[in-house]
Amino acid sequence: MANRSVKAIAARRGFILLLFPALIILGGPFLGGLAFGLAQSLGLFSVVDVGGPTLRFYADAVLSSDFLRSLLLTLYIALVSTALATMLSLGLALLLRRSFRGARLVRLLVQLPLPTPHLAAAIGVTLLLTQSGIFARLFYAAGLLAEPSDFPALVYDRGAVGIIVTYVWKELPFITLVALAALRSAGNELEQAARNLGASPWQAFWHVTLPLVAPALIGSATIVFAFAFGAFEVPLLLGQSYPRVLAVEAYMLYQDVDLTVRPGALALNTLIAALTALAVPPYIWLLRQARRAW
Amino acid sequence: MDKLWLRWIPYIGLMLALAACSVQSPSELAPTAAAADVSAAEDPARLSWPEVESSARGVTVNFFMWGGDDNINRYVNEYVAPQVLAQYGITLRQTPVNDIVETVNKLLGEKTEGKLSDGTIDLIWINGENFRTMRQGELLYGPWAENLPNAQYVPWAEPSIANDFGYPVDAYEAPWGRAQFVMIYDSARVADPPKSFADLLEWTQTHPGRFTYPAPPDFTGSVFVRHGFYEVSSGYERLIGPFDETVYADNAGAAWEYFNQLEPYLWREGETYPQTIDQLNQLFANGEADFTMSYNPAFASGAIARGVFPDSVRTYLFDAGTIANTHYVAIPFNATNKAAAMVVANFLQSPQAQIEKAKPEVWGDLPVMAVESLPESDRELLAAIPQGVATLTAEELAANALPELQADWLTRIEEDWQTEVLKP
Repeated sequence: MANRSVKAIAARRGFILLLFPALIILGGPFLGGLAFGLAQSLGLFSVVDVGGPTLRFYADAVLSSDFLRSLLLTLYIALVSTALATMLSLGLALLLRRSFRGARLVRLLVQLPLPTPHLAAAIGVTLLLTQSGIFARLFYAAGLLAEPSDFPALVYDRGAVGIIVTYVWKELPFITLVALAALRSAGNELEQAARNLGASPWQAFWHVTLPLVAPALIGSATIVFAFAFGAFEVPLLLGQSYPRVLAVEAYMLYQDVDLTVRPGALALNTLIAALTALAVPPYIWLLRQARRAW
Repeated sequence: MDKLWLRWIPYIGLMLALAACSVQSPSELAPTAAAADVSAAEDPARLSWPEVESSARGVTVNFFMWGGDDNINRYVNEYVAPQVLAQYGITLRQTPVNDIVETVNKLLGEKTEGKLSDGTIDLIWINGENFRTMRQGELLYGPWAENLPNAQYVPWAEPSIANDFGYPVDAYEAPWGRAQFVMIYDSARVADPPKSFADLLEWTQTHPGRFTYPAPPDFTGSVFVRHGFYEVSSGYERLIGPFDETVYADNAGAAWEYFNQLEPYLWREGETYPQTIDQLNQLFANGEADFTMSYNPAFASGAIARGVFPDSVRTYLFDAGTIANTHYVAIPFNATNKAAAMVVANFLQSPQAQIEKAKPEVWGDLPVMAVESLPESDRELLAAIPQGVATLTAEELAANALPELQADWLTRIEEDWQTEVLKP
């Protein structure tokens, strides 16, 4: 008995030892960076002396009048783009599951945004949607607008339309592929059984199909939400000058020539990471609910 | 199962310890740097010029510079690089950056991490607050710039050369060129452009949505706002010199009132501003805005020559004058090839390179040399350069040049513009 547990411990040690190189690569830069960022946000290791350790930078960040506006804008962009992308993806996955003429071409087209960098997508949206963009010019040429500049403001706008369009276009194939994989592995026997037993198409969808793909949808949507919440490049390119999303605020602070505000940038970054981590418990809860429902 | 994560604690602890060990605080570094025995390679300013040139042969110089202008990039890559290779055997490698602040940040990081030699950056194009930041953070090698043979052509005694935005240069950077702010408009669209801030307000009120400026801290947007400060204030002369809170407070109120009055008549009713000067140039080229602006008096002529702006585009100055400044190249403290960087800086200052740079189709940058110090032949070459249709004469520019404010004024104005004008 004692012998066996010693063996088990030895085996586990060997296992951890084998994992160690991978852990160093994964954990070193990530956790090291996180820890260093955390230390800097407290005013430690600062290039210019700011008198750390202190929680002053967190207090300044949270208490500034901009923080709430930025947080709301960030939440709004992340939630709306995630919701739109998830709903559209579900529809697309249900459609692509069937076989029809040109299905292969459609599947290829759907995957097109996957390898496109976010920056390229953002520039594409600028070319299409600004008031001197392609759509504005087409509408003007078609006589629908008196001036190209009468085209609605969809980029650098209050509603962050350009940013949301970019995120939806970019994340659509990711959620679609995950949902499609879930649908395929579940097969359609259960739905057919439900229909045979007299369920309407809507009932079959609501009570059978949706619970089947829900875990996959929730998982991929959470990843998309966490990304949209923390990313800065698309809002930097397509966002209004004010208010700005949290990540752009952090970036601007980090770029500031005044080095004493830099810990503030890292405090904001830590807050973004913490807020993103807050999405984990609801994610687990939703996932449990989805599994239970099934 | 729930307590599984507890097992990770020792590893996380180890990582934290590793992370903490790999960084040293700057205070720990300073004595090491001072105590280090500096070899000739690390301090080429002590060598004679022929020694500098011979130790630079066969070396690669990494030149980090703002890369937002195709003409400037072409000048560096297609003129300077082949010349220094042929004349001095130096390979010049340009690294274009979006904002040189990124590079300053990179160097700050390297200093914090204790990377005191073998740095990746040999030469950097800077001025203004970035120079001040780098001097204050002790990120620059020097003094060396007055040792260059071609420094003989540079009027080092002039305050606008010896001071970079009011901050003493002390030979820690070598002048490369001069810039002066100009307004740009299309004479086919606007007959009589507004030449003062009072006229500009009036013009925007009759043409709402047709004017805007880049949001500071964009370099050009920031200088536009400073012009407003100059005009609305009780005379810019009072703003020259070190930052003064009382003088600032006396003048800032009127300036912010002006910009807030202007705001509703701007593009998009001032709800948003272009983030960069490139974005404003695009709005201008697309016909969304009737004006753009530039720190380079020859920019508009260049854009016409490349077909980006129509032929009817012209530049003009405010009646009160426009702000002029000097831009420089500097060598980071941990540059690997300091001697070669000095040779490149010397070439950049040569009459040959400066005259080429002054051609409007090349770059159109104002030369940094005192014309009277040049040999007769070079003076003739300089005079023979045809100016573009939209470029004002050097005499007109010089007669209307205003000095820059010190960096502390700049950052304060940029900061307060955000709170007073940008935010509702």
